[in-house]
Amino acid sequence: MSTTKKPDQAECHPMVGVPIATLKPKQVRRQIDMTLWEKLYVFEIARGIGITTKHFAKNMVGFVAPPKGKKRSVFTVYYPEERVTLPPAYRGRPVLVARADGTEKCVACGLCEKICPASAITIVAGEKDNAERYPMSYTLDMSRCVYCGYCEEVCPKEAIVMSSEYEGLAQRDRNAMRYSKEDLLRSEESVQGRLDFIRRIYSKCNY
Amino acid sequence: MLADLIESLAKIVFIFSVNIGFFAPVLGWVERKQSAVMQDRIGANRADIFGFTAIGLFHSLADAVKVLVKEDFIPAGANKFFHTVAPFICLVPAIVTFTVVPFGGSYTVFGHEVQLVIADLDVGILFVFAVSSLAAYGVVLSGWASRSNWSLLGALRASAQMLSYEVAMGLTIIGIIMVFGTLKLTEIGAMQENFFKWGIFLQPVGFILFFTCAIAENKRAPFDMPEAESELVAGYFTEYSGLKFVMFWMAEFLEIVTIAGIVTTLFFGAWHLPFVTDQKLLEFFLFAGPNGAAVLAILTNIVTFFAKVVFFIWLQMTIRWTLPRFRYDQVMRLCWKMILPLALINILITGLVLLL
Repeated sequence: MSTTKKPDQAECHPMVGVPIATLKPKQVRRQIDMTLWEKLYVFEIARGIGITTKHFAKNMVGFVAPPKGKKRSVFTVYYPEERVTLPPAYRGRPVLVARADGTEKCVACGLCEKICPASAITIVAGEKDNAERYPMSYTLDMSRCVYCGYCEEVCPKEAIVMSSEYEGLAQRDRNAMRYSKEDLLRSEESVQGRLDFIRRIYSKCNY
Repeated sequence: MLADLIESLAKIVFIFSVNIGFFAPVLGWVERKQSAVMQDRIGANRADIFGFTAIGLFHSLADAVKVLVKEDFIPAGANKFFHTVAPFICLVPAIVTFTVVPFGGSYTVFGHEVQLVIADLDVGILFVFAVSSLAAYGVVLSGWASRSNWSLLGALRASAQMLSYEVAMGLTIIGIIMVFGTLKLTEIGAMQENFFKWGIFLQPVGFILFFTCAIAENKRAPFDMPEAESELVAGYFTEYSGLKFVMFWMAEFLEIVTIAGIVTTLFFGAWHLPFVTDQKLLEFFLFAGPNGAAVLAILTNIVTFFAKVVFFIWLQMTIRWTLPRFRYDQVMRLCWKMILPLALINILITGLVLLL
């Protein structure tokens, strides 16, 4: 809290939220002892079996003759054949965003390298003829990456974003998990959802 | 003489193939698939032959191939003899107990009387208890011989639990024996021709108590203390692999079938359809001639009996996937303080009703 106060500033009240005087301890009835009906076991067990049997019967009907136009009540996704649609907040493999001409947006400022808590990013900066900086090499060590998303948050150019890719992240060889700039480049359209999302959550609309 | 031999062999082959060949592998599939369906999942369905998955049935086959090629591991320091012999002691009672369970009435085919039970023993139900309690030895031996803490703890729990529930189970069944006045399972079955004479109407409390005890005796959830996965890895068969592991597994499934068979025989009219006596059945099939009628009646009996068995297998599976595991003291309290007194009261009331 700031110690300096302007003369016309009102007294800062330290209490935030509901005043303590109005708070009353909530009466909770913790009935740990079972009632006689529950102590008889048999009826409660029968009730439980009834619930599971209801699910069983419902799902058996769904297996044999699924109701028309209704999705099955089973939530399992047959993974390789079916995919879930991931929300834009999903943080998958970090990728570099390419411009329309196929070159990277990255200007090799080094902020992502600096902020990366796992030191997964290594950048070697270079300079073009028009005095524009670019990464000569951009190495992302996916064996170190912790998917925190700091790189994307700190990037001033929206050049690195967390994509929704979640396959092929694990390899048998650590050397195979070190990705170069060329491996990471993705077109802007493919990560458009995430770009819109980070503009909203990181207030990057002023870029 | 020869006819007797053929009859016995046919019955043995039939029950053996139904139990070992059908129920044991299929129940492994049923357990997975039923639990999946009950929990809004899909369950095992990926094993396929030429692209046909047969709703996951090939997983049993894949499991069989897997256990056959697995290493038969015996831990260092284990007692090799008892470690090897324990699964057999577990499995054999599970197979043997079904011999006294009748799966049909007695009919005359081509002048030869066929009784649809492998061994019609006078002691009947007592034989079931005597043999099934031998499984406790297998459990205790396997736990002790493995030289593993998990196994030993599992075996200790199993021995206490199985011995306790043995007592209670014996007492729960006395009511039904008193009502029917015989130990012979075939006679008990034959007496339930009348729908309102089914054991469940005469001994409803006895049924619930017996079913509870039987599940506890089989060591399945909610009484799976001896093999509690979350506490003891796999309990008394932690140190087993390959075929020996599967023998414990098969013993458990065959006991499910046996329990279902005994419950059906004692409480749910054995091989009888409701309101249909064996005589009526024979008259109904009379169009096929006397021998054909007998054969058709036998088939009807077998189908009826195994339909009931399948229902009780389903019920046991449902209970196993519905209820959470008891705490150990709760298991013991349920046995000694609830089931045992209730069984005694049940005997008392049954005796009073019979006497008056």
